[in-house]
Amino acid sequence: MKQTKTFRLVMYAVLGSMAAALMFFSFPMPMFLSFLSIDASELPVLFAALLFSPIAGIVVAGIKILLYTLFMGAGDPIGMVSNFMASLLFVLPVAYVYRHFGSVKGLIAGLGLATVFMAGMMALLNYLVFLPAYTWLMDFDLGSQGLLSIALAGILPFNLFKGLFISLLFIPLFLKLFPLLQEKSYGAHLQRKTAANQ
Amino acid sequence: MLQNIVIGQYIPVDSPLHRLDSRAKILCLLALAVIVFLANEFWSYTALVTTVILFVVLSRVPLKFFLKGLLPIFILIIFTFFLHAFFTNEGAVLFSVLGFSVYSGGIEQGVYISVRIGSLVVFASLLTLTTTPIDLTDGFESFLRPFKRFGLPAHEMALMMSISIRLIPTLLLEADRILKAQAARGADFAKGSLRTRLETLTAFIIPLFVRSFKRAEDMATAMDARGYRGGEGRTKLRVLKWRARDTIACIIVAGVGVVLALLRDF
Repeated sequence: MKQTKTFRLVMYAVLGSMAAALMFFSFPMPMFLSFLSIDASELPVLFAALLFSPIAGIVVAGIKILLYTLFMGAGDPIGMVSNFMASLLFVLPVAYVYRHFGSVKGLIAGLGLATVFMAGMMALLNYLVFLPAYTWLMDFDLGSQGLLSIALAGILPFNLFKGLFISLLFIPLFLKLFPLLQEKSYGAHLQRKTAANQ
Repeated sequence: MLQNIVIGQYIPVDSPLHRLDSRAKILCLLALAVIVFLANEFWSYTALVTTVILFVVLSRVPLKFFLKGLLPIFILIIFTFFLHAFFTNEGAVLFSVLGFSVYSGGIEQGVYISVRIGSLVVFASLLTLTTTPIDLTDGFESFLRPFKRFGLPAHEMALMMSISIRLIPTLLLEADRILKAQAARGADFAKGSLRTRLETLTAFIIPLFVRSFKRAEDMATAMDARGYRGGEGRTKLRVLKWRARDTIACIIVAGVGVVLALLRDF
């Protein structure tokens, strides 16, 4: 299959709407704070980043969050931004590590690294940006101690769990789907590799 | 559930707000998001609530859809209210429970901030309830077009959004079909250990991916075959048109801003 620009455009759109569709089936986890919910919407974003390019990952994450907002209402803009940031912070490290090693081991290392990286960065971002944004909206000062404890005790373990959940879903998906896709030689870097071998 | 998502947020009734140009509505929403924060005492909040009620009535959208929009943020509003009720120590003591004194200033502040958050959500809902996703995308595209010279692919972004919007119902239908097909073969998505549940979930996601890849391939081929070659010189089936009523809507919103700015307590 020749990879045209049209094909890439359509593919990003399809992956984006898949991600949004998966996001509709989100569910809150009983042991975490009620406003944190988990879903499988990161899977298509990961696919885009690994099959095409990290930029494709960003595009698909953007489509996902915009679609979700359009269909579910813009009641929580801060949550939308933080969800988008979490997508990027998770998917980009996976894409870069995988591209560097290019094997299943590389993928697993990338997923592990990305989980820790995303959870750490999201705790930091929540402490510095998102939680203060909420308290500003609520016009109430929780104090830096209060913010710190929510970020460390609430946000950090949740994102570690979320990263683990997505990784556990993605690895079997990747193992089953990638040979199939490689055969069809989707993906710019896969094509480049075959070209280099010839 | 499926039906709810398929129609999205848009409620197809005929109202003055529905007839407005999507660009006008986006501009008004952005302005209102700032205006909401102008209110800071009784009369300015009264003006704000009046505006909210007026717009909701004008939209002719049944009230329950606004309440549905408020639902996700409801916990935050309740939480905010009680936070202020218990921890803002201003005004006279109304009553005491378990050593906490509730002051009149606290109740007042709690109500105000809840109204502020609620108004923001209702204004945002007004936009998505009265505008189709496709119109919204067109509106955003026209705002992004000036940034094209800085390398922003406005047309491509809008095209991807339109395709995705169109695909959402199709995908959900397909997801439903796969779920039923797996259930017919004895898969149970809600039972078993975490491991078996992950496995059944994979059995759902893999066909979904495979079929989507196939769909993308077909669609791209179809587009190429029909001579799609980017945004240059492309015409549109639906053209946005700025009318007098759009200007009037913007003036009304600006008027609301002026009234609130005059009423607010500096």
